Amino acid sequence: MKPAPFEYCLPSSVAEALEALASSESARVLAGGQSLIPAMNFRLTDVSLLVDIRRVEGLDAVSVDSGGVTVGAAATQSAVLADDDAAGAVPGLRAALRHVGHLQIRNRGTVCGSIAHADPAAELPAVAVATDAVVSVAGPAGRREIDASAFFLGPFWTALDDAEMVTEVRFPATPASSVTVVDEISRRAGDFAVAGLVAVIDADGGAVRSARLVGFGVGGSPTRLESAEAAAAGWAADHPTDGIADAVMADTADAFDDIHATSWYRREAAAALVVRSVRRVLAGQEGRAA
Amino acid sequence: MSLDIDPHIRHSTRHIGRSVPRREDRGPLTGRGRYAADIRIAGMLEVAFVRSVEAHARIASVDTAEAEALDGVVAVFCAADLADVKSFPDYIDYINPVRQRPLAETVRYVGAAYAAVVAADRYIAEDAAALVAAGTVYEPLPTVADLDQALAPDAPKLFDDWDDNRSVDFPVDKPEVARAFAEADHTFTETYVSQRQTGLPMECRGVVADTTDGQLTVWTSTQSPHLVRTTLALVLGVPEPQVRVVNPDIGGGFGTKTHVYPEDVVVPWIARRLQRPARWIEDRAENLVTGVHARDQRHDVEVAYDDDGTVRAVRCTSICDLGSAEIFMPGTAPVFVTNACITAAYDFPNMEARPVGVVTNKTPAGAYRGFGIPEGVFVMERIIDRVARLTGTDRVELRRRMLLRPGQTPYVMHGGGRLDSGSHTESFERALEMLGPALERARSRHADDSDVRVGVGYANYVEPATPTYHLTTGHWAGYDSATVRVDPDGSARLAVGVTDLGQGTETSAAQLAADALGVDPSQVTVVMGDTERAPYGLGAWGSRSAMVMAGSVLMASDRLVSKARSIAAHMLEAAEADVVIADGRFHVAGSPEPAVGWAEVATAAWARTVDLPSGMEPGLETSGYFEPAHLEHLPDETGRVNAAASWANGAHIAVASVRVSTGEVTVEDFIVVHDCGTVINPAIVEGQIHGGIAQGIAGAMYEHFQYDPDTATPRFSSFMDYLVPTCAEVPPIDVDHFKSPAPDHPLGVKGCGEGGTIGPPAAIAGAVCDALSEWGVDLTACPVTPVTVRAAIREAESAREQAGESA
Repeated sequence: MKPAPFEYCLPSSVAEALEALASSESARVLAGGQSLIPAMNFRLTDVSLLVDIRRVEGLDAVSVDSGGVTVGAAATQSAVLADDDAAGAVPGLRAALRHVGHLQIRNRGTVCGSIAHADPAAELPAVAVATDAVVSVAGPAGRREIDASAFFLGPFWTALDDAEMVTEVRFPATPASSVTVVDEISRRAGDFAVAGLVAVIDADGGAVRSARLVGFGVGGSPTRLESAEAAAAGWAADHPTDGIADAVMADTADAFDDIHATSWYRREAAAALVVRSVRRVLAGQEGRAA
Repeated sequence: MSLDIDPHIRHSTRHIGRSVPRREDRGPLTGRGRYAADIRIAGMLEVAFVRSVEAHARIASVDTAEAEALDGVVAVFCAADLADVKSFPDYIDYINPVRQRPLAETVRYVGAAYAAVVAADRYIAEDAAALVAAGTVYEPLPTVADLDQALAPDAPKLFDDWDDNRSVDFPVDKPEVARAFAEADHTFTETYVSQRQTGLPMECRGVVADTTDGQLTVWTSTQSPHLVRTTLALVLGVPEPQVRVVNPDIGGGFGTKTHVYPEDVVVPWIARRLQRPARWIEDRAENLVTGVHARDQRHDVEVAYDDDGTVRAVRCTSICDLGSAEIFMPGTAPVFVTNACITAAYDFPNMEARPVGVVTNKTPAGAYRGFGIPEGVFVMERIIDRVARLTGTDRVELRRRMLLRPGQTPYVMHGGGRLDSGSHTESFERALEMLGPALERARSRHADDSDVRVGVGYANYVEPATPTYHLTTGHWAGYDSATVRVDPDGSARLAVGVTDLGQGTETSAAQLAADALGVDPSQVTVVMGDTERAPYGLGAWGSRSAMVMAGSVLMASDRLVSKARSIAAHMLEAAEADVVIADGRFHVAGSPEPAVGWAEVATAAWARTVDLPSGMEPGLETSGYFEPAHLEHLPDETGRVNAAASWANGAHIAVASVRVSTGEVTVEDFIVVHDCGTVINPAIVEGQIHGGIAQGIAGAMYEHFQYDPDTATPRFSSFMDYLVPTCAEVPPIDVDHFKSPAPDHPLGVKGCGEGGTIGPPAAIAGAVCDALSEWGVDLTACPVTPVTVRAAIREAESAREQAGESA
């Protein structure tokens, strides 16, 4: 479990980082390294040059304003988790980060790195989709912005081009009328989810007004549960749950089998997560304050 | 020999039975442990093994030229280079022979080493290993991925000279069992499955070898350094006194480090060949596929029972997947232990148990804490729950009817195991008392959640302590050793043949010697784990260390005190028979002064020998080799054998909650009542129980080593997928004790190393089934996962729907 030989550089600006990324065919950005380094140690990924962005000026910033939270590419998960303002503006961030790995992993792992890595069972990509986040990207052709809904193309596959890097992700503020729930089923505390859900629910008078429901671990990338969203609208606690559950089953046809769970389990579990999240919100058991 | 009966020993302070703080923890806890990977020798080379990616293939050719040309590479060795190494010995005559070579010519599992690269550092060695891998031509052979494939009539064979893939098969035919089946009201058949796991030490293995000064010194993370020495001398053809084997600090073994592995031979061979120190430090990816696996058993069961819940007889064929079986010592013994212990703490003689060992193209099976017992206990407890359900009998009442009662010991089990003493019924009753509040807590915690059900599961077990090694190895047997010496300054040096892997053996050893000699434990220096410094012993495994170490320390100390009394009597000008030792001072009984202490006596023995009685041999060092009573090493003509010197027992109760909609299981509470006889150090025993329960929970809910059924390739290679429970997955554990002394041990000590692992699979599966009783869920395999729970609920619901439709 030792990596093959590779080069390493520590740029101090995005421009330098981009130059390094363009200089070698299999250059990769190193942010927290919590997924990349093990893959290199297993020699599962061919990396000629590691471009360590942790010293790039300003890239570790977490800024919060009335419009939302902007997380720089080098900001650690622990830094975002600890940020009360960020949790106030986008409650889904803290709620999701509590499920991400363990303390030691979050101390190194980055929010943007998790998004760029695009593990289909990861929490943060689903938060990005659920909150309509925007991924800022820099590359040889300049800077561009990609909506989260268009960023995740499949397992470990994003809209990032070669020699491009994520510079920051902006999470729009969650409306004050909504409650965010991040719930998941994982084999152990801190594991990637077998099935997970980010739900942003606007409820009033005991009924759901509208819901944004994004599953993770139930498809190749964060899975917007659109028919479940439709089924949930207007739903009240005393209504039967069959309609929502059926809708989730329809939304998760791409769920996969792996060593930890079957596809049918993932779909069933996603349905259960939706039902219990909505119920908890309607019962007032999920507050806005994280 | 016992401290309490020798009238000449009258110490006022006893350390046995007290939680003397562990003395061996300071190094590891402060980052100053010295594990194999911490050993540095000038000029030391690094070895990386090239391991098969095929499950079954002949290595047709290996092109090493590119690797050898790499800067920093010293040598590349393949199977043919080690032709001078003898195969591992093959001592057991009742299993089919496996003549394992240190590097493979035919690979029979993914991970088998077929070449070794020696380089300046591990990075270069792995770069070169990748080149060797690329230059390897495999001639693939058909694979055998599981028991069914192995036992198929036209199955490919792993070993050409065997008749089939069965390593061992012991049919048993008991007429009384046949009678019981004929007479019973009902029967059922079921198949129970125990999944493949590995013992998973926190520290992987490591081997460092050095030939400086002409002696071969090998530091290896073994549980049995003397056994490694004897084996190395044999296969390398080196006189045994020229081989020194040291186990440095060890980060857990759990049985996996009882075996002598190919790397234990190849690294010393390289050091000798190159006349350079060399080391190999195993990484986790290697450990997962080369450290022995365990628990991979299927149990085909027939049960005869009556309307009133009486279990009349059980037939069980236990088939163990041994993997490729290419491991020394062989991995065949656990399935025999499964059968021997399947009836556990129950008075249940009508058992017909047939152990079968089968080879497949998987990592060799071997020892893992529990050694076959959790598998059998799972079967028995699931059978009892099933019979209770089928007959409408209360599960607890049925167990009460079946448990061994006070006064029934010594009790000979169906397979010959002789339960010497115990608290089988008492432990279960005490656990039931402890259950009340735990169950109340769990129920009130979930009272408001209609999606959650709470259940209770039971496991009663026995734990063989100090087994014979003869049935496992065909060679070694049961004893262990101690040498005690008092130096002229009056402090003691105790060397023991058992080793420490983190259990606290050193602390316990010092407690034993301290009480025997009447000194403080801090005055006892303990030495172990080095064949040059410790007497020949069999090492640490099989819940044996406490028992054999206590016996041998007492023997050696008794002899030492006896000689010291002679010297003291001479110095005191008293009759030897009148001299007693009290709190480390020798004096005439009834008059505490004049007295002489250990320093005066030892000074006379070693230095001022002019002060010795005329004709007395100088020196103050004695040894004891303790062979436990009642240990049988070979089965009688009916196959019965008492393979353990003493038998601990216990009762486990799990309280679990199940979320019906998702199948998530939470162990809310785990209750343990444990009886390992006299306790030397309560904190250490408690630690053994907690750690064992954690590993038992691993088996019940998490760890499952899986292979692709088509290629026999492991489905993963890291902790991302081999799920080890963390502290977050381990519930509160409530422990209480009974202390039924081992009647034939001088201190009454039994063993406690493995009990924790035994009950959790049965107890947790039982609790989940109880929680889901409204669906009639009856789990027959572990691990219990959200998927298996949901599958069971779905199956029950669809069966109910079908029944509804047909009605």
